[in-house]
Amino acid sequence: MNDSTETLQQAPDIKQKETDNPDKTDFRQDYISFRNYNFFYGPTQVLFDVNLDIPERQVTALIGPSGCGKSTLLRNINRMNDLVDGIRHEGELLIDGTSAYDPTVEVISLRKRIGMVFQKSNPFAKSIYENVVYGLRVAGRKKKSSLDEAVETSLRRAALWDEVKDRLGESAFGLSGGQMQRLCIARAIANNPEIILMDEPCSALDPVATGKIEDLIHDLKKEYTIVIVTHNMQQAARVSDQTAFFYLGKLIEYDETEKIFMNPAQKQTEDYVRGRFG
Amino acid sequence: MSHTNPEPNKAKPLPSRFQVGKSTLYFDNFMNYAIKIGGIGVIAAICGIFIFLTYQIMPLFRGATVEFEQTLDLGNLEISAMGIDPWSQLPLFVSPDGTLNFYDIQDLDKEYNRGFFQMDPGLPDGVEFPFTRYSNHEDSAIFGTADGRFAVVQVEFESTHPDYRSREVVANLTTTPLFRIGLDDGEFEQIDYVDAGRNKLAVAIQRDQEGQRRIFAVTFSQNQPLIGDPVTVRDREFELSDLFEGEARFMRLTGDSDFVIVGTDIGELHLLARERGGFTNRQTIQPFAGRQSETIRSMNFLSGRLSLILTNEVGEMMMYSIFHSEESDERILGRTKEFQPALPTGQGAEFYSHTPRNKAFLVGGGNYAQIRYATTEAIRWGGDLDFTVEHALLGRRYDRIMFVDTENQLQIFTVRDPHPETGWKAYFGKIHYEGRTEPEYMWQSDGDDDFEPKLSMVPLIWGTLKGTVFAMLIAVPIALLAAFYTSQFLKPEIRRLIKPVMEIMESVPTVVLGFLAALWLAPLISARIPSVFLIILSLPIAVIAFGAILANLPIQFRKWVKPGYEFLYFAPFMMLTAYFAWQMGPLFEAIFFRVENPETGEVVGSFAVWWTETTDYPVRLRNAFVVGIFMGFAIIPTIFTIAEDSMTNVPQSFRSGALALGASRWQTAISVILPTAAAGIFSAVMIGFGRAVGETMILLMATGNTPIMTANPFDGMRTLAANIAVELPEAAQGGTLYRSLFLGALLLFAFTFFINTVAEVMRQKLRDRYKAVE
Repeated sequence: MNDSTETLQQAPDIKQKETDNPDKTDFRQDYISFRNYNFFYGPTQVLFDVNLDIPERQVTALIGPSGCGKSTLLRNINRMNDLVDGIRHEGELLIDGTSAYDPTVEVISLRKRIGMVFQKSNPFAKSIYENVVYGLRVAGRKKKSSLDEAVETSLRRAALWDEVKDRLGESAFGLSGGQMQRLCIARAIANNPEIILMDEPCSALDPVATGKIEDLIHDLKKEYTIVIVTHNMQQAARVSDQTAFFYLGKLIEYDETEKIFMNPAQKQTEDYVRGRFG
Repeated sequence: MSHTNPEPNKAKPLPSRFQVGKSTLYFDNFMNYAIKIGGIGVIAAICGIFIFLTYQIMPLFRGATVEFEQTLDLGNLEISAMGIDPWSQLPLFVSPDGTLNFYDIQDLDKEYNRGFFQMDPGLPDGVEFPFTRYSNHEDSAIFGTADGRFAVVQVEFESTHPDYRSREVVANLTTTPLFRIGLDDGEFEQIDYVDAGRNKLAVAIQRDQEGQRRIFAVTFSQNQPLIGDPVTVRDREFELSDLFEGEARFMRLTGDSDFVIVGTDIGELHLLARERGGFTNRQTIQPFAGRQSETIRSMNFLSGRLSLILTNEVGEMMMYSIFHSEESDERILGRTKEFQPALPTGQGAEFYSHTPRNKAFLVGGGNYAQIRYATTEAIRWGGDLDFTVEHALLGRRYDRIMFVDTENQLQIFTVRDPHPETGWKAYFGKIHYEGRTEPEYMWQSDGDDDFEPKLSMVPLIWGTLKGTVFAMLIAVPIALLAAFYTSQFLKPEIRRLIKPVMEIMESVPTVVLGFLAALWLAPLISARIPSVFLIILSLPIAVIAFGAILANLPIQFRKWVKPGYEFLYFAPFMMLTAYFAWQMGPLFEAIFFRVENPETGEVVGSFAVWWTETTDYPVRLRNAFVVGIFMGFAIIPTIFTIAEDSMTNVPQSFRSGALALGASRWQTAISVILPTAAAGIFSAVMIGFGRAVGETMILLMATGNTPIMTANPFDGMRTLAANIAVELPEAAQGGTLYRSLFLGALLLFAFTFFINTVAEVMRQKLRDRYKAVE
């Protein structure tokens, strides 16, 4: 049983590893890999020939103006687009070397590996406790003690434990916007995924709440591969290690964050990050 | 200051580019009011319907009003009995000298009024009649002589319209010869005579010279000579005194002349049956056993000669009726009502009169009178009078009361009581109707003259609920599962097709469904009930089994079943299953519903016979089961549409959130969608319920409309809505039936209003819940 508690107990080792290998060479550089990837909503092509390798245990930011396809790309990783009518894709999407769209891949197990945090926090109409353990419950975990433990560790990881520990049984709708979003992160962590996708997680939050989430992202990358879509240049610069710039469905430039913001290779990238359009 | 700036508050004219067009403003205002009026109008219309219905049924729950009309002096006329014509305008008074005296009380001041006049029935002159009696029900007077003979004078009333304006009533008399009965020198205490066609019977109680009461019966037969009128011939005489203990005080004959009911001085009631050429005592009962007074003080028939109203010495009042006994199937006498409270006079009834029109009777003593209604046991009216009553009469049309007081004054009162048979008990209580074995809830609104209307709403409410429950049993599982599947599992392209189709299904006129149900499905199903059972049983099992097999297939095979298109595999499979179940029905029947033919000893499979033998209930062609299926079809679209909407409208973020956490579609639907949409689903069911309650055509056509109260699914029923449709042609405006139908309508209205309100409140709550997360 791959228990979340076990993994969390391993956390110090991972940190150890990180300090040992500051250039992260041990980790896979093409953990999530798009190969000649095209994507269509019905007759409309949204992604054009994307080739993108997202490295393990780093934060990769996807930036670009509205409608550039960055959210679509993100939602392709855990196949959330399956819900949409008339979608079609070409090319390959490999996650840890396996094709995500292989017919033998169970989409449910895929999604268990990949947590997701949405633009607008979406806790269920349940208690805080039940929200956190939802993923575990649907996976069939029943033991009360292990659920309790998962709740505490996940909420601690999401820096929410101290704020809610006394009202775990209350409705999640009683939380503030920032707290709800951190609850959604805790919910995703509780499943002990490998990847966390974040779709503009701070766009509805005030600067204080945003700061907390960003700190959290910084913490979480020690254990998880994080892909974040953001409209906020500063945020991308603050939290990410890699940044991919998309424009009109094409991947324009992908590099180390510092390089993208300081010395972009492409003119379009420079115009965008300098705020000349977008 | 004012002279320098005369109008400091006057604003500068607004530049034209900021001005709003006048027509825009007018239109906006107009629409504002129009919408307000519309909204208020709808509410007003609802209230109006409610008020109108209430107004229509109010008279059903009111008592009678009795108003003094006039007093007429009867001079020194000697009165021994009193009667009246069918139009309550020609009271007649029987005198001991053998004459009938009439008083035309209509238009007394008009010149053509006959006033007071006497008619001679043609009895032998010079004979005194110490015993007289008038039966208002048969319009006949009985005269008894001092030497043991009696004659019956039949009065026939005819109405004429001499001046085309007012009615004049003419009486024609037919008199029998004097017949001998009992003792030559006895004193008549009671004589009753019944002419039941070929069977005629006279019974008399006489006091002999020692003061002993004896009772005699004489049978008559009717001979038809070749020429002329039939002749009544005295047949045989019996003495009945030895058939029971004690002395006979009261005696009445039933209308079919089959029974003599005798009340004795020791408080017993005997039912003497006429059988095998003689009389036997079939039953002895003590009506007031264990009461404060066990003595019978009065005994009178109610209209119909089937029910006796008895009082005892302290004014307690009971009704005994003749009905078929449950055990022996013989007709017996049994207590059917006890009237509460007892007469306030604290004594037995001194006068009594009933009306042939309904089951009301006038009863009282001294200067107190009361109108009671036998069916409902209700006191319609009661009051003190300014005089002491000698004779009392309830008008044949239940429109007047006439008293003759101790000063020989005729006191006339008007009775206004359009709905005497109604009231809470009549509509909602269990009532022991005349001729029935036990108290029941019954609806049967019309019949012949002696008929007692049975107006209970309970069988109709029962029928409504029964039809609704069966429809819901069929519709709710199908509609909710369909909505669940469509909203959560089906490909959205197909979902967009299904919804309009369902809405079209909703708009199919229910008369078409009813027609199909009654003429096509009813015969089909009643012949193949086991097949239908088998389908209902096998479909879910087969589907679950199929699903289980599919889920356990390796992913290589399973991948061919695209999410959202599962129905392509399930639907043919389900159709096949249903077809097989239908075909297997007869086999199933032959195995599980075996019955033996009692004549041939042959064992055959027959569900209908098996059901009747097992449950004692019949299997009818038009039954609740068929109705359930078709009404189910009528309400499936309603439930489906609302439930589907409420599930589809659960915010997408809930679904995404759950799916992103690795929940399957099923887990998402059950654990996130269902709890969120629960209120909407509940409201869908409630609205379906409301629709089923108000549904008329299908029920009207496919239920048989029998207002019976059984839970048997293979029996018919009658619903409130169908009842209105069925009885409408019979209901005279303003009549009891008319208002009773309005009561049914009000119940229906209140019921559906309540259900729809609950459903609407639930939906509002759901909307608020969605709002909280959006």
